[in-house]
Amino acid sequence: MAKELRQIAIYGKGGIGKSTTTQNLTAGLTELGKNVMVVGCDPKADSTRLLLGGLAQKTVLDTLRDEGDEVELDSILKTGFGGTRCVESGGPEPGVGCAGRGIITSIGLLERLGAYTDDLDYVFYDVLGDVVCGGFAMPIREGKAKEIYIVASGEMMSLYAANNISKGISRYAAKGGVRLGGIICNSRNVDREIELLRAFAEELGTQLIHFVPRDNVVQHAEIHKQTVIQYKPQAKQADEYRQLARKIEENEMFVIPKPMTQDRLEEILLEYGLMDNIEDDYRI
Amino acid sequence: MPKIKQDKNGQTNSISQVRYGCALGAMHSVSAIPGAIPITHCGPGCVDKQYMSLSFYNGYQGGGYSGGAVPPSSNLQEKDVVFGGAKHLEQLIEASLKIMDADLFVVLNGCIPEIVGDDIGAVVARYQEKGVPIVSAETGGFKGNNFTGHEIVTEAIIEQFVDKYADKSKKQKGLINVWSELPFQNTFWRGDLTELKRILEGAGWQVNILFGYGSKGAAEWLTIPNAEFNLVVGPWLGLKTAKLLEKKYGQPYLHLPVLPIGAKQAGEFLRAIAAFAKENEVQTEAFIKQEEREYYYYLEYFTDFYAEYWWGLPAAYAVVSDAAYNLAINKFLVNQLGLIPAKQIITDHTPEKYQEAIREQYRQLAEDVSAEVEFVEDGYIVGELLRQQDYGHKPPVIFGTSWERDIVKELKGHIVEVSYPVSYDVVLNKTYIGYRGALTLLETIFTTAISKSA
Repeated sequence: MAKELRQIAIYGKGGIGKSTTTQNLTAGLTELGKNVMVVGCDPKADSTRLLLGGLAQKTVLDTLRDEGDEVELDSILKTGFGGTRCVESGGPEPGVGCAGRGIITSIGLLERLGAYTDDLDYVFYDVLGDVVCGGFAMPIREGKAKEIYIVASGEMMSLYAANNISKGISRYAAKGGVRLGGIICNSRNVDREIELLRAFAEELGTQLIHFVPRDNVVQHAEIHKQTVIQYKPQAKQADEYRQLARKIEENEMFVIPKPMTQDRLEEILLEYGLMDNIEDDYRI
Repeated sequence: MPKIKQDKNGQTNSISQVRYGCALGAMHSVSAIPGAIPITHCGPGCVDKQYMSLSFYNGYQGGGYSGGAVPPSSNLQEKDVVFGGAKHLEQLIEASLKIMDADLFVVLNGCIPEIVGDDIGAVVARYQEKGVPIVSAETGGFKGNNFTGHEIVTEAIIEQFVDKYADKSKKQKGLINVWSELPFQNTFWRGDLTELKRILEGAGWQVNILFGYGSKGAAEWLTIPNAEFNLVVGPWLGLKTAKLLEKKYGQPYLHLPVLPIGAKQAGEFLRAIAAFAKENEVQTEAFIKQEEREYYYYLEYFTDFYAEYWWGLPAAYAVVSDAAYNLAINKFLVNQLGLIPAKQIITDHTPEKYQEAIREQYRQLAEDVSAEVEFVEDGYIVGELLRQQDYGHKPPVIFGTSWERDIVKELKGHIVEVSYPVSYDVVLNKTYIGYRGALTLLETIFTTAISKSA
C-alpha cells in the first residue's frame, strides 16, 4: 500500500517560534528516516534558514517575477539538512501587493512543477502569524494540509491568537477534512505555563502534544544558522525536538476544535493566575 | 442555507438583467469630456465589459477620441496582484503621456488594485507635481455602480485638477454649472445635453454643460468655480457634487428634480431658474414665448392625428428606467398628453436617502394625478410587476429598456426604449427632452403605437 503523504500546517501568533519549531521538528523527522518538504508561507522568507544554513533561497514569487512562468523546480527547491526539501513562497515588499494571493500562487506553482513527489512523507507549511485573510488559509483549503498544529506559549496574546486560529480551522473543517492535531507549547517560562496550556488545549478539545522548554541553545543554533539537532545533537533540547517529532509521527488525535468565547478564554487565564502576575510583578 | 435578506418585492442581493455598469463604468464620464482620456488600472476585460454594455449595446454610441478601444489599461495579471501594480501603472502612465494627447488624464482603478491596496493616488501625485494634468479616482467596482463612479470621478477632477489650476478669484454673473444626465448610461445624453444647453442659453444663461459636444472640455471645467450657481437637473444625481461645490467655493445650488420634457415643463424649468437667481426674467419670458410658438406650431398639426386616430392609441403607460428619465417622462405624459400612469419603476439603485423625496414627486405628478413609484433593479421582479399590473382594456405603452421586450410582447403592448440598455435604437444626437426633444418623443411613441399592426 502506498504510504499517505501527511501535509501539516503550522500556525501561531507572530514571533512565537513557528519557524524555529518547524525546522527543528523536521530535522527530528529526517532522523526517523522521513522525507520532508518545508514550504515557507511568509513574505519574510525565513522559514527554511536553519535547514539551509542561511537565507540562500530564491523565493518562488521572486523567481516567478524575474523569469515568468517558465520556472524550473530546481531553481526554487533546495535541499537542506537531512535531505529536507526547502521552498520559500516569498511575497511582496511590506505595504504593497497581496501576500495572501502570493501564497495561493506559489502553492499552485509547486503543484504544477511536480514538487509533491510520491516519496514524500511530510509537507510542512509554515504560515505567517495569524490567519489574516483567505490567502493565509490557503494551505488548509482545498484539502492540502489536513493536519494543523498551533504553536503557543503561556502568554495571553499567543492564546488569543491560538483561539482565533481555531475559529478559522473549525470553519474550514466543516467543509473539508482539516483537523487540529494539537498545541505545541514553545515555552516562555511563564508561571504554571504547562498547566495553563493543558487546560487551554483541553477546552479546545485537543491536546498539548509537547511542551518544548526554553533553552538558550536554540538561540545559539540560530546564530549559527542551524537547527539544534545539527548544531548540538547531544543537547537535551535536541531530544525535546526528537520527542516532538516522534509524537507527531505517532499522533492519532485529530479534532475539530471548539473555539471558546473571549470571556471563557479570560476565565481560564484568570484561573491559572496569569492576570494576577500582570498586576503583581512588574519585573521585565 | 443562510437566510437571504429580501426587500418587499422579494429582491435579494442578486439581480438579473443589469441596468447599470460598475463604478469603473464612469470611465465614460471622462471620455464624455472633450479632450479628456481615461487611463484604467484594472484587470483584463473590465473596460471592454463597461464599454460594450454602456456604450455599444446602448444606442451604439461608439468610442470616439477617448472611449471604446482607446483608453490605455494596465490589464493587470496575477503578478500585479501579488507584488502590487503600482510600478505597472507608472509605466502605463509614462507610455500614455508619450503617445496620447489630452488636456486631462483621469486614472481610474478597478476592483483588483483597490483590494490589493495599490496606492494610485501616490503614483499619480508624482505626475501632478510635474505639472501633468492628471487625476486619480478610486472606482473599484465594489464601491457601487457607475452613478457612484460618476460622482467619484467628478469629485476627483474638481479636487485634483479644477481646484489646482482654476482662477477662483471671481464669480461670473450668469454662468451656471449643469449637473444632469449620466453620460452614456443615459442613452440620449448627447442630444439631451445639447438641448438643455440650448434652452438655458436661450433664456440668457452662460452654461458649463461639462460633457459632450457642447462642452469646451478641460478648459470649461476650470471655470466651474467662477459660476454663479450650480444647477442640478434630475431627482438625485449631481446633488453630491453640488454640495461639494457649495462647501468648496460657496456656490449655491438649485435642485430641479424634473428633467423638462415639453413646453409646459420646460417653461416651469426656465422660470424656476430665473426666479432662483432673480436674473434673466425678461429674456426667459421672451425665449419661452418664442419656443412655444414653434412647439405649438408643430403640436397643432399633430392634434389631428391624436384626436382622430380611431384604430386605438395606448392610454395607460409604465416607465422602467433610471430616476431622471422616469420622473421626466411621467411629468410629460401626465401633464401634456393626459395618459394614465400604471406602473413606475426606478432601476438606478437610487441611494435610499433620496427615495422619499422622489416618491413625493410622484404623489404630485399633476394637481389631480398621483402615482406610486417602486425602486427595483432585478429584471425578473420588474417583469413580474409589469405582468401583474392592470392597464385597463387597452394594451399599455411601456417606456423601458431592451430587457422589457419580452414582457411587452406578452402584454401585447408597445415599447419605447428610453433607458439603458437601449439595444434596438441607433442613437446619434436624438433628444427626448426640452422643446425639440418632446416633439421627437411624440413621434417615437406614436410611430411605435401605429406601426405595430403594419
